Amino acid sequence: MIWRESRWNGIAVLVVLALSWEAAGRAGWVHRLFFPPVSRILASFAALVASGEVLRHVGVSLWRAALGYALAALVGIALGVAMGYWRRAYEAAEIVIELGRALPPPAIIPVAIVLLGIEDAMKVAVIFFSCAFPILVNTTDGVRAVDPVLLRSARTFGLGEGETIRKVIVPAAGPFIMTGLRIALAIALILTVISEMVGATSGIGYFILDSQRSFRIPQMYAGMLVLALVGYLLNRAFLLADARLMAWHRRVSDSA
Amino acid sequence: MRPRVPWLGLAVLAGGLAAWEALSRSVPGLGDYVPPASRVLLTLGGILANGELAAHVRASLVRFAGGYALAAALGVGAGVLLGSSRLLYSFVEPLVELLRPMPSPATIPIAILFFGIGDEMKIVVTAYACTWPILLNTLDGVRSVDRILRRTAATFRVGRWRTLFQVVIPAASPQIATGLRVSLAIALILVTTSEMVVANDGLGFYILDLQRSFRIPEMYAAILALAVLGYLLNRGFLALDGWAMAWHRGATRKELL
Repeated sequence: MIWRESRWNGIAVLVVLALSWEAAGRAGWVHRLFFPPVSRILASFAALVASGEVLRHVGVSLWRAALGYALAALVGIALGVAMGYWRRAYEAAEIVIELGRALPPPAIIPVAIVLLGIEDAMKVAVIFFSCAFPILVNTTDGVRAVDPVLLRSARTFGLGEGETIRKVIVPAAGPFIMTGLRIALAIALILTVISEMVGATSGIGYFILDSQRSFRIPQMYAGMLVLALVGYLLNRAFLLADARLMAWHRRVSDSA
Repeated sequence: MRPRVPWLGLAVLAGGLAAWEALSRSVPGLGDYVPPASRVLLTLGGILANGELAAHVRASLVRFAGGYALAAALGVGAGVLLGSSRLLYSFVEPLVELLRPMPSPATIPIAILFFGIGDEMKIVVTAYACTWPILLNTLDGVRSVDRILRRTAATFRVGRWRTLFQVVIPAASPQIATGLRVSLAIALILVTTSEMVVANDGLGFYILDLQRSFRIPEMYAAILALAVLGYLLNRGFLALDGWAMAWHRGATRKELL
């Protein structure tokens, strides 16, 4: 028999992995404390979801992530358009941005703690700082790559600068902006988890680290499962939104 | 052509530093939280001179190098393998889809459980996070190797292994390089994060510890050092990439003519 390429191959692998994990745990081949059987992890997952405990942590995390992300999108797109459109703005900001971008974002956490304390504002600031750069850089690239013919047509039709930016440049740079937003989405989630691990008493990052520290291991795995699901769903939602928002763009560039 | 000096950018940087200096000195109380730029630079000189900074940089770089090298080997190896066979990839696709969206710092607690709180834990976490972009880029690169190249190799009866090492991997190398570059930044993030969560040396630990012991000028100085380190690593990579990939740009330019 020859194996064929199919979606079931991978699902079979997942099932086999889960079953051998379960069997190894029950037979005592692996440390029961470190490797609780899959059934226990799933039971813990169900209990956490049913009690609403994990949902509360996820809710707190998502709120922080959303605030930081939205701020970063606002500032990143606005600055990116300015830097892409006006050469002077680009030259003025380039060095400062290169320096800021070189800093690994977790390093900003202690500064944020000093200035903002360990509450939500600190996390939002850290998420904002880390997400703003990819959005800004991609928007700048997108605006600089706008077809000059579009700009000349806009001028021919007598569009003012503000209108040109709103109606021509931002839409034309749309796919680049969306790329920046997609990269930033993953980063937002990463920095949410990191900032919650370093200084927090709530949120899914705190929940997972705290579960490990208090040796509630099935709960730690369940928390990771929740986080994987959240990441997956967010990415899916983004792709759906992207497909809807950018449908006109694909239509236009296909016909061209 | 001589590189143009970015005067305007330097002026903005200098203006920003001057404003920082002036504000920090004139606003009462602010200096405790945001010490003047000059003091931060002097402090940086101090921790450089007494060797305090160097020890932490060394600890971080060892973890960085270990995790990054491991990820490069794993990511390129697995990427070439999975990119060469769609059947093989179909076995792991759901696993990849399950693990990939999980933010990588979430693996720190489980790594603590299995590897303790020493270097191994940090190297494993860094390697895990960096493997993804390298693997996925390599996979993509191998899949999109020009079919004409493969057929030419087959026509000349080039063996399987030689085709792999002399045709497929070189042709996929720009994308492999992209994966390696993306991972560079990720490696620094995971090294510093794992050091912040649990460690007694390394830049991540050092910066957080300086904040907790309220040595604020030192904290800013160490952050500045980390930014410089990140900048240098990225510059070094780009230089290496430009040198290693020069043949590729040379080979593909002909098509444009």
